[in-house]
Amino acid sequence: MISREPSHGWIRLIEPACTSCMICARECPTWCISIDSHTEPVEGLPSGARDRTQNVLDRFAIDWSLCMYCGICIEECPFDALEWVSEPTQPGSTSDALIEQMVTRPS
Amino acid sequence: MIEIVPQGWLVAVEALKADGFDYFDWLGCVDEIGRLDCLRVVLVVRNLSRSAEPRMLSCSLSRTDPHIETISGVFAGAAWHEREAAELFGVEFIGGDRRRLLLNPEFEGTPLRKDEVLAARTGMNWPGAKEPGESDFSPSRRRLAPPGVPDPSVWGDRDAAQAAPDPAEVAESAVGGRVRRRRS
Repeated sequence: MISREPSHGWIRLIEPACTSCMICARECPTWCISIDSHTEPVEGLPSGARDRTQNVLDRFAIDWSLCMYCGICIEECPFDALEWVSEPTQPGSTSDALIEQMVTRPS
Repeated sequence: MIEIVPQGWLVAVEALKADGFDYFDWLGCVDEIGRLDCLRVVLVVRNLSRSAEPRMLSCSLSRTDPHIETISGVFAGAAWHEREAAELFGVEFIGGDRRRLLLNPEFEGTPLRKDEVLAARTGMNWPGAKEPGESDFSPSRRRLAPPGVPDPSVWGDRDAAQAAPDPAEVAESAVGGRVRRRRS
């Protein structure tokens, strides 16, 4: 089998790597990425340690009607949480149907 | 980079071509706003027998009425680049091809000038305005603005009785990033 580099078909979120840092949403020239997140206290800290919070991702959506597949989000992500996938994006009959919710969690 | 005055542009390019720099490489335009109040037309030509030493000519033009002679009579290939600079920066190339290159004939504006505002975006919610850990657009003290959208106090929410904002101020406030506290 010849392994091939994935072509620019689709952009996937690797959710465990995402820290909700907003860098991809800010760098996107077409404003197609929207992110909701909230903070939660970190559990399991050693006793006496100062309280810490971490960001928890609630929603990550890419609007394929706006995305121009430039890959700037993939380049800019400091945690390598976005990657190219070869398959094309799913078609939709309305512009709302082209908004792909990659993560949806009630916050 | 050799600085040429606008009146001497065509003569300088002809002289350079006669001197053996007869290969047109590129012609571009730069908006120098923020550093100088001018548009700069830049031309690079090469002598292919000494290709490591290109010559770069530049000419600064006023931002309010930028005009310069066309060099498409010297280098026919420069016409395409001049049309591009004409529609993106509003430079008039006297004697050149005046047709639009890429934009609609109805389009008004000079999209690559740095004081050009992405007006449609000023009324939209920018997804990047949220801070990490936020779900709604809350007014943050460290407010962020996207590139191309100027500070509302400079461009949008201005007092209508005031004079039009200074282009340099619009350009400076539309670079994106943290909105700086403005001197009043």
